[in-house]
Amino acid sequence: MDRIEVQDLNVYFDDLHVLKDVNLNIKNNMVTALIGPSGCGKSTFIRTLNRMNDLIDTFHKTGTVLLDEEDIYDPKVDVVDLRKRVGMVFQKPNPFPKSIFDNVAYGLQIHGITDKRMLKEKVEESLKAAALWDEVKNKLDKSAMGLSGGQQQRLCIARTIAVEPEVILMDEPCSALDPISTTKIEDLIHRLKRDYTIIIVTHNMQQATRVSKCTAFFLNGEIIESGSTDKIFIEPCDQRTEDYITGRFG
Amino acid sequence: MEKKYPRIVFRKRLQKLRDYVEKMGKTALIAYRNSLKAFTEYDEELVKEVIQSSEEIERMNYNLEHKTMSIIAAEQPVASDLRFIEAALKVGSHFQRMGGLASNIAEVARHIKGEKIPERPMNDITHMADIVESMISKSISAFVNQDMSIARGLHRDDDKVDDLFDIALKDITKSMFDEKDAIYYMIYLLFVARFLERIADRAESIGDRTIFMITCEKP
Repeated sequence: MDRIEVQDLNVYFDDLHVLKDVNLNIKNNMVTALIGPSGCGKSTFIRTLNRMNDLIDTFHKTGTVLLDEEDIYDPKVDVVDLRKRVGMVFQKPNPFPKSIFDNVAYGLQIHGITDKRMLKEKVEESLKAAALWDEVKNKLDKSAMGLSGGQQQRLCIARTIAVEPEVILMDEPCSALDPISTTKIEDLIHRLKRDYTIIIVTHNMQQATRVSKCTAFFLNGEIIESGSTDKIFIEPCDQRTEDYITGRFG
Repeated sequence: MEKKYPRIVFRKRLQKLRDYVEKMGKTALIAYRNSLKAFTEYDEELVKEVIQSSEEIERMNYNLEHKTMSIIAAEQPVASDLRFIEAALKVGSHFQRMGGLASNIAEVARHIKGEKIPERPMNDITHMADIVESMISKSISAFVNQDMSIARGLHRDDDKVDDLFDIALKDITKSMFDEKDAIYYMIYLLFVARFLERIADRAESIGDRTIFMITCEKP
């Protein structure tokens, strides 16, 4: 089943045509990797999926983006509610300068949960789902800024999943992390895909092969090829995909 | 699209790997030629040389495995590069087996030295041996030059060798009935026919690996 359907999407920043006739369906409970050279439109694409680009004045688009068959750019859509349904994890871990507990509880409180017991339960549940609970359970009141980079990134993932999104967007979530922390995040992605639909932007080809079932290759704002990750990394159809993944151009 | 071809070191490593597999193939081809020479005109020094070559190809195959593992670990290849490396590993082991079979043929020479081989079975073997020699050359060329047409042609050659093997089997059996004293060395002749047929199979398999490497499809 398709959770997201992107149809004939064109994105512009002023006159700059950033995404060109993009069509892509994202399957439910599956990890989809987006690969391509810097500046090809991957990040712009995922930021279109939770309307983060709306924050840029010069942004405008044509085409449709459907989440569960509903147009997310419909004027009736509540953008705050949309971003609860489509959460995002960024390249650099960005915890709030608050306690570990408050970082995870923050989103829940914004969405109206004030009951302390419920907050406690949800925070614990989210930290366990993000494979961080055992490392922080005795210091929940300590500042999140004191955690390592890998822990901070897992905290951000806990913060994202606390509000029970349907889709998690990850924009190079491991690029600032060491190999051990990267492995932990990748293991976490494998666990999370049971409950969430995940879209990950990565520059690491091997990471794409390790974590994703489907891959889309972007180049100059277009999707050149998309499909099964195995097929793309063993037997790509398009010469440009072959050239990129084998490092013939960067 | 402008191609910049970075990863120069990686490209060089792949080229070296290709050269190494070619060298293994050529060593196997020379061992094969020498084994036949030792078989038809017994020469103990040549027999020893073939056995040494076979051992050398075995060593080269271990080296090939180390080289490929090192490239995979360091470069993490994908797509056509990965398919090439996978094919190189398999082709290397086919050449290793060819060397081993050449060594078997050379050892047979020790058992049949001085015996007068009947003309018909000998002609069958010689005919098979000629086709097999050309198949080894073609298998090297198919892999090194990624030549689909040569690779496909190896299927036809293998069919010819299979047919000749059946003929040789009949002629050798007939010779055994005709001259019972000759059974001892005629059995060795049968072995040689079998070794040749197996080498042809290996050459055909190299063609198949080449086709898979290029198309990702089973031939």
